[in-house]
Amino acid sequence: MFESSDPQRAVRLPEGIDLHARPAGALVRAASAYQSAITLSAGGRCADAKSILQVLALGATGGTEVAVAASGSDASEALEAISSLLATLS
Amino acid sequence: MVGMDRTASPGIVLVSHSAAIAEGLAAMAAEVAGGEVRIVAAGGGPDGTLGTDGGRVADAVREADAGAGVVILADIGSAVLSVRAVLNDGMAEGVSAVLADAPLVEGAIAAAVTASVGGDRDAVRAAAEDAWNVRKL
Repeated sequence: MFESSDPQRAVRLPEGIDLHARPAGALVRAASAYQSAITLSAGGRCADAKSILQVLALGATGGTEVAVAASGSDASEALEAISSLLATLS
Repeated sequence: MVGMDRTASPGIVLVSHSAAIAEGLAAMAAEVAGGEVRIVAAGGGPDGTLGTDGGRVADAVREADAGAGVVILADIGSAVLSVRAVLNDGMAEGVSAVLADAPLVEGAIAAAVTASVGGDRDAVRAAAEDAWNVRKL
């Protein structure tokens, strides 16, 4: 599904801000607005950014680096939006 | 087959033996999903004891429906039987309601988020049932 040419970016979650239920819900809702497939990888796990349970199962804590990848017609916009959302979680 | 309004959002009904579980989970799922989803709790027996109440489930199904159908999640054992009885006996006639075969908490969260991003009744049910495939560890 993902090609090496697809845009990817590494984002560090803000210190002290974990990717728990409420922010994960906001992230999944944002990701669902894009046609592209979007994945998040952290701590050896990979999640579909449109699946709330997969995103929560990442267990990503504040300060963790999350790799975001997107594949599809709106991949660069999706990558920009999701990376920016992760980097500014509050 | 009941006609469904595809522009409306599907409703979600949470059935538990415990009123506190159903209500707490409804609040949690609404918060994760951003509060724009129709989630109705139907927990506890007729007299406030632990149990399930078919009449309450049927009322909740009607309340949750906005024309796009309803997905029901239940906890264990007789809660599932009560929901099936409500559906089979036509107690929520006029509502296109389905029971999701899903773990209650995880399924409710997945269902609520899917409904909040415009998923239809079948997508909401599928999201709830996919909860079996997501490991915690």
